[in-house]
Amino acid sequence: MELAAVVVVPATKDLRLSHEAQTHAAAASENARPFYFPRMPILGNDVLRSWMERIRKLGLRSLWLSSSPRDESVDGSALAEFARQGVERLLVIQLKAYAEMDLADLLRFHCESRNPVTEAEDDRGQLGVCLRDHLALHPKGDKHAFASAPPDSGNIPYQFRGYAKRILSARERQELVGDGLTGACAMRPLGTEIRDQVWVGEGANLADSVRVIGPTYIGARTIVQAGATIGPFASVEHDCVVGCGTTVERSTVLPYSYLAPGLLIRHQLVDGGYLEDLSWGAVADLHPAGLGSRIQRRESRRQAFYESDVLLRAGKAFTRDLAPSSTASQPWLRVQL
Amino acid sequence: MNTIPWVILPFPCGSSFADRRGLRKDLLIALRVSGSPVIVDLSSCGTLGHEDIDLLLECVAQAAGRETKVLFVAGSRVNRVLLEVTRISSLVPVFNSVREALAYPQIAAENDDEVLRVSQFQKPGSA
Repeated sequence: MELAAVVVVPATKDLRLSHEAQTHAAAASENARPFYFPRMPILGNDVLRSWMERIRKLGLRSLWLSSSPRDESVDGSALAEFARQGVERLLVIQLKAYAEMDLADLLRFHCESRNPVTEAEDDRGQLGVCLRDHLALHPKGDKHAFASAPPDSGNIPYQFRGYAKRILSARERQELVGDGLTGACAMRPLGTEIRDQVWVGEGANLADSVRVIGPTYIGARTIVQAGATIGPFASVEHDCVVGCGTTVERSTVLPYSYLAPGLLIRHQLVDGGYLEDLSWGAVADLHPAGLGSRIQRRESRRQAFYESDVLLRAGKAFTRDLAPSSTASQPWLRVQL
Repeated sequence: MNTIPWVILPFPCGSSFADRRGLRKDLLIALRVSGSPVIVDLSSCGTLGHEDIDLLLECVAQAAGRETKVLFVAGSRVNRVLLEVTRISSLVPVFNSVREALAYPQIAAENDDEVLRVSQFQKPGSA
């Protein structure tokens, strides 16, 4: 039986639009929402690559990569196209969780339970991973729920009891960082362990007076200026600048973020000029007070968290325009594993 | 009973140089003259700019070394987060509302002292 795999990444454009709209509303409504892209690295790792590796272990030699609007639906014709091309079973992964899942076990469960659709879930709900059989690939309407089975569908869900975190939740994302730093999950920081539980990426520049308290990760090409304190349980991703005397503790600083001198970043997530407080759930704009900003990317420093870059970095080939019903709003990309 | 003459100053967020100068003046007067706790209320501020942060730090500096207590009322979670990020909250007590600030133990204690002082003062008259 032919099996194919699809990984659906929330569209950057949609996230960006959503981010901007919510940012404008932030002052008035004190919103709490993920404003970062799910492809943002976690301890230097790309969650997409971890899923690609799991799919490769299933014996598949390629997968389809797509982006979807935030409502997580796609044209039903895309599913029908898979069926027309002879796909009899489709593994669909929404890139919204990191889960150390044995996909072969999911496949086995799906076959044994004879579900048309099997959704993987843990004790907190669906993980965005599902298997669809041939019949479930035929759309019934114009739009088709691509990843999720309806709750009342009668299908028996696959109960996942392993390690999983929802990466679109800032709090769970930070928990994943902590677990990765302490070895509580399989994800390991991408860098050199310069001393016990302190990892530093290639080209990072730390002033002599910087205090690093493990467990901590400092990403590639990040600059930490004099008197700063990083850690414990901190992750400063690649190409950031942490100003003099600033403390980053139990927090994550996403790539290309600048933090002004003398700040206290504690239990927070920083993305460029925005900061999400994990305790209060409030999102603050750092720009007006000059406390933080997005560092402009230069071509020479551009990193691998765009679709093509991550694949090139992995040394894989990819082709465009082979996708079922590829549209401007929903592009498809076939990736060789 | 609260008999302390509270000084509550609304923070002139996003206002002109003259307004800021006015707050600075009011604050100095409050610190010098009354000796009462001063509450700087940021409730009307949607977001804080760098001039606002500078002015708040100046308030802290003015109160430093004096016995008069200065408290900030953040008024919103976002403001509170910014006060924490800039470490202002480690220098000055920060509260979510004026009501919360009035319940601050040190001020409550001063309230009790004042009540006690008033009651002691009243005793001879009442005897």
